[in-house]
Amino acid sequence: MLEGGKIDGRQAVYLSITYIMATALLGVAAITTSFARHDAWISSILATVLSIPVAWLVVKLSSLFPGKTFIEYQEEILGKYLGKITGLIYVVFFIHICSFMIREFGDFIMAAFFEDTPILVFHIIVVAMGAYTVRHGLEVLARVNQIFLPFIILSVVMIIFLTIPELDFKRLLPVLDTSPVNIIKGSITPLAWHSEILALAMIIPFLTKPDESGKIAYKSLAMVGFIFLIVTAGSIATFGELVAFMSYPFLNTARIINIAKFIDRLDPLIMVIWLAGGFVKITFFYYIAVLGSAQLFKLNSYRPLVLPIGIILVAMAVAVGENSIQIAHFLSHIFPVYGTFFQAAIPFLLLVIALFRKQGRTPK
Amino acid sequence: MLRMRKREKQKGNGGDHSSEIRNRPLSNNIEENLKYLREIFNNCSDVVFREFLLAQREQIKLAMIYIDGLTDKTRVSEEIMKALALEVPMATSNTEITKANALHYIKMRGLCINKIKETGNFSDVINAVLSGNTVLLVDGNNTAIINETQGWEKRSIEESKTEIIVRGPRESFVETLSTNTSMLRRKIKNPDLKIETMELGEKTNTQVALVYVAGIVNEGLVEEARKRLSRIKIDGILESGYIEEFISDNPYTVFPTIAHTDRPDRVAAYLLEGRVAIMVEGTPVVLTAPSIFMESIQTPEDYYERAVFMSAIRGLRILTMILAMTLPSLYVAIISFHHEMLPTPLLLSIASQREAVPLPVFVEVLFMEIAFEIIREAGIRLPRPVGQAVSIVAALIIGEAAVTAGMVAGTTIIVVPMTAIASFTVYYSGSIAFRTLRFPLVFLAASLGLFGLITGLIIIVVHMASLRSFGIPYLEPIAPIVPGDLKDSALRAPWWAIKRGPNLMGQNNPRRAVPGMKPKPPTVNKRE
Repeated sequence: MLEGGKIDGRQAVYLSITYIMATALLGVAAITTSFARHDAWISSILATVLSIPVAWLVVKLSSLFPGKTFIEYQEEILGKYLGKITGLIYVVFFIHICSFMIREFGDFIMAAFFEDTPILVFHIIVVAMGAYTVRHGLEVLARVNQIFLPFIILSVVMIIFLTIPELDFKRLLPVLDTSPVNIIKGSITPLAWHSEILALAMIIPFLTKPDESGKIAYKSLAMVGFIFLIVTAGSIATFGELVAFMSYPFLNTARIINIAKFIDRLDPLIMVIWLAGGFVKITFFYYIAVLGSAQLFKLNSYRPLVLPIGIILVAMAVAVGENSIQIAHFLSHIFPVYGTFFQAAIPFLLLVIALFRKQGRTPK
Repeated sequence: MLRMRKREKQKGNGGDHSSEIRNRPLSNNIEENLKYLREIFNNCSDVVFREFLLAQREQIKLAMIYIDGLTDKTRVSEEIMKALALEVPMATSNTEITKANALHYIKMRGLCINKIKETGNFSDVINAVLSGNTVLLVDGNNTAIINETQGWEKRSIEESKTEIIVRGPRESFVETLSTNTSMLRRKIKNPDLKIETMELGEKTNTQVALVYVAGIVNEGLVEEARKRLSRIKIDGILESGYIEEFISDNPYTVFPTIAHTDRPDRVAAYLLEGRVAIMVEGTPVVLTAPSIFMESIQTPEDYYERAVFMSAIRGLRILTMILAMTLPSLYVAIISFHHEMLPTPLLLSIASQREAVPLPVFVEVLFMEIAFEIIREAGIRLPRPVGQAVSIVAALIIGEAAVTAGMVAGTTIIVVPMTAIASFTVYYSGSIAFRTLRFPLVFLAASLGLFGLITGLIIIVVHMASLRSFGIPYLEPIAPIVPGDLKDSALRAPWWAIKRGPNLMGQNNPRRAVPGMKPKPPTVNKRE
């Protein structure tokens, strides 16, 4: 087996929370608000509910093919050649979305702190850190995340608490003022993020108890949904519909905190959250891209692929867009469809085919 | 093939000149035996050969061989020599002592030594002499008697110099292995306390003891420790640090994955938690393994003083640990990149101080940190009488003169000593890691500000998460989270709440406090 380590259920839940939430925390509230206006919080609940079938899909597929990752069982479902082609497409998909994350990471640091430094510097640093971690394997990444996630959640809760003086829940009224169509439109972007739970399909075989994967997926989605809800509702209650025009609403929330003129300007704290969370998320997708390609080409070890894929990631992160506007446009208009297609529609087709051809372990 | 032959040849040449003699059995003729032994101990002026006659009519020659200074002189002269040469209670009226039965009578009636052994070959004789025993040769017998007469000058048990505590036992280990094991045995009076000894070091023949409590420790861990110890082939072992480097999982890390201590209570506590200890003759420093990161913030006193208070102190130590590693880099990052993080009045006061300083803050901090490291190193090495002079000069340089001369700003003078003092609150070998890592972090902070600092910290966390000590994850019980073990990590639960030993060894998980012992006020005899 390519990955020697095993992670337990708790580590898997923690990991899924981080790899979904880390990027969603910053910009997604703005995108949702631009469609659903002050009803964005309803969209966020809707997205969480809609993501549960996706989680079910992932868990069901993995339970049909125990001990196999997403890339491996595609070959079983679709046959050797077609399966390899879709597998390759998925590896490219993982690399593609991972390079977007790296780009977001770089853009954010540039926008928030270092305006004149070339973005490539941040891409190289984060990919180098990722490569170092990927070489240590999934176990180490899970442990690192176990240290970071409590701090991330603690900071989110703390920031929400400290903004209480600024909160005005009247800004959330009237409820359901936006048309249902817009609310659904607003929920598609967070849904695309929630659907990243698909990545769990790559690590289910490495769980100490793979049968728990269902519980893991639902627990993590519930937690992500909850955090996303308080971040969205909190941002709207603070800024109203202005949120729609912000790049990083949660950063702005942290910036307005001023308690007794002492607890002030907490944006470096947000940066720390984003760095730690973003690092784990990028590293995780980097890892599954590396692992997936090693499985696709039936290698004995994934380590030789770490560096080449890292270089591809650095280059892709520059090439995916010319500026942050293009990236934002991709994330708000293309990614919802693109992500949902790969993360929900194709797995659904795979499941239908698998069930139709009566493959895999027969359900008891 | 060529290499193999070469190695064989080296072995042949490099081996002791006495190696052929060593493997020989003793002969019946005492003169012959003495000749060989004299040849082996040629030019060893501390080896004493004492020949005398048994107090009998038949001339039976005896010889004692021992090392002057390693043996208890009164025992050798009173209990061996006087007993055999003068008093001889075995001279009963009706038995004739001959060369043939002399050995038996000497053993049974003659010697007043409590512990003796017999041997028939030279290598045992030589080892016995070298380890401070007295060897008795009897003419006409090819068996030698080894008398346990070890007794040499040793340091008495003193208070630990490196790990000071307020409440708890004061004693610390000494250089003698047998004294050290006895100190453990006094604490754990149980036949389950196992002490396996072996000799390591091809030239030094150093005694090394592997200590554990059977029934608590995981057998696999003991097996692994035995395997790692027996793999060591080196000419000499002078301190347990030699062994530490051979048996750690990660040879290059700055974090100590094998703990060491000179406190018997600490070792006893670790043994009861299912760890193993490795003791080495000639050093008071005992190794314990596996060792996890959280041990750096724990002291034996945590378990003696009240739980709530000590939990708070552990929190303080975590804070100081973070400060010791990151304070200088945080300072550099904030002053050079993120002024906006500081409240305006503070920023203004710092800016006015820094105005006069010609150096960038990074150089300033680096300069002061290196200055401090120099003073610290000097403080350890310098001869005691000059200590006070150096500390006064150092305090003047760091404190007063540097500021007055405009070399450094006043705030830097707060940051650097704060860091230094913070690093002393944690376990010494743990603080070595922070001391080392402080410098790369300062560089990162100077080049990329907070982002660089966080990058460095992430790398450090990843590195620590990848470490293992005898297979146990180094960051356990925090990553991976082991809920039962969190009771005794950053917090210390009261003793009655620690019902099971740490899971970390994946071992038998021994019962500690019996459940249901939480104390409460009496229900009867209550005063109204």
